Amino acid sequence: MSYKKNEDLDSGPGGAVMDKMTVFQDCIAGFNASPIQPRKCRVLLTKLTYLLSTGDTFARDESTRLFFSITKLFQHKDIALRQMVYLVIKELATSADDVIMVTSSIMKDTTVGSDVVYRPNAIRTLARIIDASTIQAIERLIKTAIVDKHPIVSSAALISSYHLLPVSREVVRRWANETQDTVLAQKVFPQAAYGGAAGGLGIGPAGPASSFMTQYHALGLLYQLRSHDRMALIKMIQQLANAGSAMKSPAAVVMLIRFVARAIDEDRNMRRPLYTLLEGWLKHKSDMVNFEAAKTILEMRDSTDAEASPAINVLQLFLSSPRFVSRFSAIRILNRFAMIRPQNVNVCNIDIEALINDPNRSIATYAITTLLKTGNEASVDRLMKQITGFMNDISDEFKIIVVDAIRSLCLKFPSKQASMLSFLSGVLRDEGGYEFKRAVIEAMFDLIKFVPDSKEDALSYLCEFIEDCEFTKLAVRILHLLGEEGPSTAHPTKYIRYIYNRVVLENAIVRAAAVTALSKFSLIDDASVQESVKVLLTRCLDDPDDEVRDRAAMALRLSATEKPIAKEYLSPESVPSLGALEQQLILYVTGGPDAASIAFDISSVPFISKDQADADQFRAKTMATLPILGGTSLDSGSGAGSGGVSPSKTPANIGEDYAQKYATSLAKIPELQAFGALIRSSRPVQLTESETEYVITGIKHLYKEHLVLQFDVQNTLPDTVLEDVSVIANPSTADDGTEPFVEEFIIAIPRLTQESTGTIYVAFTRPSGEEHAYTGGVFSNILRFTSKEIDPTTGEPEEEGYEDEYQVEDIEIGVADFLVPTYVGNFQHMWDQLSFETSETYNLAGVGSLSEACSSVIDSLSMQPLEGSETPLQNATHVLKLFARTLQGGKVVALVRMAYSAKTGVTLKISARAEDERVAHMVVGGIA
Amino acid sequence: MSQANVTLFTVDAVLILDNDSHRILTKYYQPPHPYPNNQYASQYPTIKEQRAFEKGLFDKTHKQGTDIILFDNHVVVYKEVVDVIIYVVGGLNENETMLYQVVLALRDSLEILLKHSLDKRTIIDNYDLVSLAVDETIDDGIILETDPTIISTRVSRPPAYDSSVKNLDLSEQGLMNAYQMAKEKLAERLKQAL
Repeated sequence: MSYKKNEDLDSGPGGAVMDKMTVFQDCIAGFNASPIQPRKCRVLLTKLTYLLSTGDTFARDESTRLFFSITKLFQHKDIALRQMVYLVIKELATSADDVIMVTSSIMKDTTVGSDVVYRPNAIRTLARIIDASTIQAIERLIKTAIVDKHPIVSSAALISSYHLLPVSREVVRRWANETQDTVLAQKVFPQAAYGGAAGGLGIGPAGPASSFMTQYHALGLLYQLRSHDRMALIKMIQQLANAGSAMKSPAAVVMLIRFVARAIDEDRNMRRPLYTLLEGWLKHKSDMVNFEAAKTILEMRDSTDAEASPAINVLQLFLSSPRFVSRFSAIRILNRFAMIRPQNVNVCNIDIEALINDPNRSIATYAITTLLKTGNEASVDRLMKQITGFMNDISDEFKIIVVDAIRSLCLKFPSKQASMLSFLSGVLRDEGGYEFKRAVIEAMFDLIKFVPDSKEDALSYLCEFIEDCEFTKLAVRILHLLGEEGPSTAHPTKYIRYIYNRVVLENAIVRAAAVTALSKFSLIDDASVQESVKVLLTRCLDDPDDEVRDRAAMALRLSATEKPIAKEYLSPESVPSLGALEQQLILYVTGGPDAASIAFDISSVPFISKDQADADQFRAKTMATLPILGGTSLDSGSGAGSGGVSPSKTPANIGEDYAQKYATSLAKIPELQAFGALIRSSRPVQLTESETEYVITGIKHLYKEHLVLQFDVQNTLPDTVLEDVSVIANPSTADDGTEPFVEEFIIAIPRLTQESTGTIYVAFTRPSGEEHAYTGGVFSNILRFTSKEIDPTTGEPEEEGYEDEYQVEDIEIGVADFLVPTYVGNFQHMWDQLSFETSETYNLAGVGSLSEACSSVIDSLSMQPLEGSETPLQNATHVLKLFARTLQGGKVVALVRMAYSAKTGVTLKISARAEDERVAHMVVGGIA
Repeated sequence: MSQANVTLFTVDAVLILDNDSHRILTKYYQPPHPYPNNQYASQYPTIKEQRAFEKGLFDKTHKQGTDIILFDNHVVVYKEVVDVIIYVVGGLNENETMLYQVVLALRDSLEILLKHSLDKRTIIDNYDLVSLAVDETIDDGIILETDPTIISTRVSRPPAYDSSVKNLDLSEQGLMNAYQMAKEKLAERLKQAL
């Protein structure tokens, strides 16, 4: 985008022409003039600021020249000039060289009396020019400033310390005591502090005493200094929360709430006392505190209904606030919560409905999508009617959001497909641009794919649509779909007519697509249909366009061959994995002349079956509805190139993606190459707490006959080097006393420098033989290493180290490692198909809700939830339906009936059916 | 669970644009000393990206007057006054009310400093006051102050004249000037001493 300089502003501040080079020359001349003219120099500095704040930059040598001529102005005492000098020095500090030279001038200014207006500016500027070698020199100065009685001075020092954290955390940590004292200090302004400098705008007796922002700054800094020590953090929270009214700054309370959220997340035992604090903050007199507390409560993973309801009530009140921002915050938090627990948000429905016509369109959209979630199956029809009412009044991009919400609703309540389908076909007839029509078409495609009952109706709506469709791209996609789905319907001939109409009436691209679609009908086992398709295709041979003729000829030729061959070409069972294909092609094309001398090897691209492709898509789509939570999808139509939710970003296929991710790095290790192809990689598991000295994550890689455990070890210590780092992984012994897993070798890390990460691989032979295909085990792991401290004077590690061990958590190879979550359209059908059944009952006492139980079952079994059953709709009972394939491709289904009561927790009965007896047992036993 | 921001870095950018989306004052914030892995670095490092962001944002907000929008994975609060719009840009999970307080603080302190004629021309003519006010409100992404009165008192007015020893003006007018200057200086000192 070209940026045309604003003409009006060419005569910028001071009325002079704002040309970069002229300003530069004027500045150099003006600042070096003697005696210094404060007024003129301030005008020049203002011009510089203007240039820097509208996007102009100076080259490094120019910046440096400017910087040093500005430092001349330190000779003049004028307060107004000095403040402006600091503003510009701050701006130039990053782009000029040798800025450290002015340290002494600035330091002089930081020690003047606290009522001099530029003292805080000097302190803040100092933080920009200090580096690791000079930071110690300002230690005393900053300490004194932090405890200064004047809030602005204190804040400036705290913020400067904060900015210096990345320079030297160690030095800043020494200021913790001063910072601690400041958190609860209620600093107020000395009367009429800055009256003179501000030209008569002094804070009189009527002015504010203070906004207490210093507390916020001190708290923010204190957290950074304490965040490694969990106990100290908890202590700090309790101390401050109990200080009650001493915490005057709402911003500081907001900060404190965020620390509480962290603490709850990390330590379950603290949950109850901390929740009480949050509940108290719901009644705080500041809006921002109310919102932060409500948001935190509703984001807690396992909040009970009783805990959530006060937060919801508070937000409900804000829904009718006159302020846009308050309504926005409230509906946004409720919207997010409605995605997980729609039934709890029901109570607000009346207030939310009032927001559908809000002038702020973000609010309106949140309201609509929330209603679509909170509506239970019964209210869907009523809502659809309401939405139809205002669809015409809103813009295209909003319609898209509504259509997307309805699409995910379809997948959730398949039984409501009829009314949703008629709604979609209705809006399809409305006026609208390409993006909107595309969204509607996508929604209908999904219905056809995932809600089999809707297929016939949806197809006929689509047929009607292409009769009068102005978008070639959409027509082509619909024709393709008709070709895919049409032949398997009850009356395929109906579609042939629609398709052939396109051949007669449309442009070449659509005609070509129609011919391909038509050719697929020739595979139907009905001689009369085959014959008529042949006749139609023969007519296409006279088409004026090459491509159309070619396709027709090809189709005719194939239909004359034997059916299996024709089928393989016309409607193949498996398609290449597009991501992999693209990657391989790029490699091939960029490979240079050597690679081009041989033909591209299509067999190197993995092929995936149609079922699998569908499952991936389904998963991507159900995931794609989630970002609404964060609000990203609201921006997808924005012009700033943010783009929509691209499928590549969604965490799709767990098994395959992880394997793909690691396959390349594993293939580089010669020892592992002998193991053959990587079958499955697990997701990374934390084996230590995230804030310990050594942070370790484990990943399991399964090969046909081997198992490789990958340990990523991070040395977080700043002053210690680890050598010969290895992991002793001990497999458990089986019941019969044998050791199923035998260690083959270990690839250790020879040297792990401070604050770096390395990887250890431990390889095992898996128990061989068919009977051990699903044998798991538990590995207890010990990190062993030689630790050497770094001598602070030389920066070299000391000669002598000591050996040390560090116990980390166990890795378990269990049911989840042998199953790949897979989507299947019809659960009942699959259930009836499989013969071997077994079941078991469990009681999960510690689990607080059905949704928590669902996600833990899904996680521990690694199976795909079907028919939207992963979200319980009632509080008391729920049925979860799961499907997966084993690594060998066998099918397994599971039906989990669960009941919840506050007294006993969740009781569940799992029944599994599989082709293989052991698989069913494994799934049933996999919960515990 | 919680992605809440536990740092003090709250504001990603402050923008003052005119009613044709031209820049009057724009500040994209990042920590002055870089963090490892460039954590907290600005998402719009180049002018081109910044302009694209501003343009898109302007199109969505100009003449809307609805205070808040989600744009390009940011919460943006804004206030339109006469022929300028003031934006405060924060992270996606930022507390909306907190950001709103910042934009109000900016607007109100400028109202005080510019004597209630907050428009493009006045801003340009008093650019020193405006840029100092922004600097006293936000320091590289950290909210410094949200009280408009405090902010406006922190901003120094330009010196009234240039003291010049070289060409001492000994005419009657010159002496009057000198007297005036001494008087003001004295008044200033007295006020400070109080």
